[in-house]
Amino acid sequence: MAKARAIVKRRKSVQNIRKITRTMELIATARFKKALDRATAAEAYTRKIAELVADLSATAQEVTHPLLEVREPAKKSLLLMLTSNRGLAGGYNGNVIRVATRTLQDYATDGQTIRLEVSGKRGLAYCRFRGLPTDAGYLQFEDRPQFDEVEILANNYIRMFLNGEIDRVDVAYTRFISAARQEAVVQTLLPMSAAQASQATESVRQARPASSAESKGGKDRVPYEFVPDAESILEEIVPVSFKVRLFKCFLDAAVSEQISRMVAMRGATENADDMIKSLTMLYNRARQAQITRELAEIIGGAAALE
Amino acid sequence: MSTAVDTDFTPATTKGDGKKSGHRIQCVVVTPERTLFDEVVEFVALPLFDGELGILPGRSPMIGRLGFGELRTTTQGTTRRYFVDGGFAQVRDNVVTILTNRAIPVAALDLAAASTELEAARARKPAGRIELDEKTRAVERASAMIRAARKI
Repeated sequence: MAKARAIVKRRKSVQNIRKITRTMELIATARFKKALDRATAAEAYTRKIAELVADLSATAQEVTHPLLEVREPAKKSLLLMLTSNRGLAGGYNGNVIRVATRTLQDYATDGQTIRLEVSGKRGLAYCRFRGLPTDAGYLQFEDRPQFDEVEILANNYIRMFLNGEIDRVDVAYTRFISAARQEAVVQTLLPMSAAQASQATESVRQARPASSAESKGGKDRVPYEFVPDAESILEEIVPVSFKVRLFKCFLDAAVSEQISRMVAMRGATENADDMIKSLTMLYNRARQAQITRELAEIIGGAAALE
Repeated sequence: MSTAVDTDFTPATTKGDGKKSGHRIQCVVVTPERTLFDEVVEFVALPLFDGELGILPGRSPMIGRLGFGELRTTTQGTTRRYFVDGGFAQVRDNVVTILTNRAIPVAALDLAAASTELEAARARKPAGRIELDEKTRAVERASAMIRAARKI
């Protein structure tokens, strides 16, 4: 009897865990939809900026902006690592941390001074564990990154870059390619290349090629009047474009986090299902064995009385 | 949203406008987070970097840099007012697109907060050209906000 009851107890606890992982999956699904909606809503802006840049660069030949200045070789680099505040998201944090560590190692062998900034509890915990010194940690970015908050960071980076405190800004984050594919990447945001400025929306475009493919090409040149003039507007667009790209990194990271949590929790639920099945089988066997044993005892007892 | 409408108009429609879309302009306000406002209006006033610019239907194409100030749209006598925090404006085929970091309805502006912001910005001691630029911008922004908030 003891064994059967122990199995029942274990099965119950697995059932409870299954309930929890299933709920987490549903929550992650809902959050993912919201995050994706936000990301698509934000796309309108980047698309428009890209359109403007395309229109402007047809008129303005040369753009000079301090943010476009490439300093070779880069001496001081800043790496921003975007991880999540919560765990149970499968390989999400591990992947980002892996690519970030690789980059850090590369920089270290180049002899660069590194400024490491980390967003998310998970990444911070990792750095503490490994004894990596972090120069700044952010915990305020949840699954709804606000542009205002990101802009503060962006302004800081711009100031540091202009003052020469840093020569480049890299972001390690999980790029959202499609609902089935996300990829941990390290992307260089500063110095920007003029081409990047116009391609802020590239990855989103690939995800939905039909909607915006024709928006750029194929149109006749519109005779714009520029106020004040094309060059100075382009110069003004450069920092905006940087901010938007940084914001997009945060949005992508938020969407990817929810997806990987969803996938991880779906896996956990399925595993719990399998476990419940095998535990039920074990329990039934134990119960049968017990009944057989009791029957044998009764029969044995009756035979002894005769 | 806006691109869908864009494609409805043929490019370079400055002549055919009158028949096609009536005497209306589509005004779209886009922030990095979302499309805030997308409506058909009769008149738009933009806060360009060097002053206000009014736009009526049939305006020739234009791209302009925005300053800090008030964006007004008028539809059948009702006026909507937003405070716009810099950015860019594009006018084409009777579509006015405003790209800005922030657009706040004027009614939601906080006069007291803007005043303290202005004080803080004025009190800054800039060291170097970059910080001086930042200070000038912050002062301009706060005073534009106060101007817009007072106008209610």
